[in-house]
Amino acid sequence: MSIGATHIDHIVIASNDSAATAKLFSVNLGIEIKRVMSRPGTGSHMEFAKLQEVVLEFAGPPQPKEGEEPRARLGGFVLAVDDIDAAVAALRAKGVDVGDAHPAVQPGAKIAGIRAGTHGVPLALIQYNATPVDSQPAGS
Amino acid sequence: MLKKIHHVGVVVQSADEALKFYRDALGLTVTDDRVIEDQGVRGVLLKIGNSEIELLEPTRDDTGVAKFLASRGEGMHHICFESDDVDAELEAARAKGIQLIDEKPRLGLAGMICFLHPKSNHGVLIEYATPLPGGHH
Repeated sequence: MSIGATHIDHIVIASNDSAATAKLFSVNLGIEIKRVMSRPGTGSHMEFAKLQEVVLEFAGPPQPKEGEEPRARLGGFVLAVDDIDAAVAALRAKGVDVGDAHPAVQPGAKIAGIRAGTHGVPLALIQYNATPVDSQPAGS
Repeated sequence: MLKKIHHVGVVVQSADEALKFYRDALGLTVTDDRVIEDQGVRGVLLKIGNSEIELLEPTRDDTGVAKFLASRGEGMHHICFESDDVDAELEAARAKGIQLIDEKPRLGLAGMICFLHPKSNHGVLIEYATPLPGGHH
């Protein structure tokens, strides 16, 4: 049974200076940074680019540490699914250790992390339009 | 111009074991599965939307992929961006002073490919690829 994964929704590039890394990727690769934000709750500095259906998410601390050289790594990716509760149930039926779906930062979206068995890849599932936007607490 | 994410590369100890998760549990479809002798890897591509996940299993110990596995363990290895013209992308990178791994494109699992040195991208390994005409992607 398929879990209904439709595409890679986003790839996380974790950096100790996400603004610098996003700028470097923009210059080196010619990709356009389309959005900059502070993550609600943590204040993490996040910048986003998009190529077709896949978002590149540059994520790092609110401020880089002074004097520290920028360093980045691939921090995982997230697969979009049509029905996250069904996907979680299908994975659990196959013995995969996956967390409960819970509200994501993105309004109306729900996300569930896969906790083991991904062969070293931080991996999660996301469903957009999973809940009415008004029903979510701000910054969840 | 980079068009899209062609694939994300994941280094694994055993592609057969990894397929139990990526193919059997996630339900993704394998589009290619080959040993590339000169690179010392078995590469398996699984389709997901307009992109793919590339599983890389080292087949000998003297390659970059084998060294990555030995030093860091399994995990994400690189991102590959698709372009219509990998030669032009490589020349543009060279003109910007970006450190290269490949001085010219070569044949890889994703078509004609080249790698940029991670030192030029804050430690992230970047691949460019132009799929071959009639290729699977």
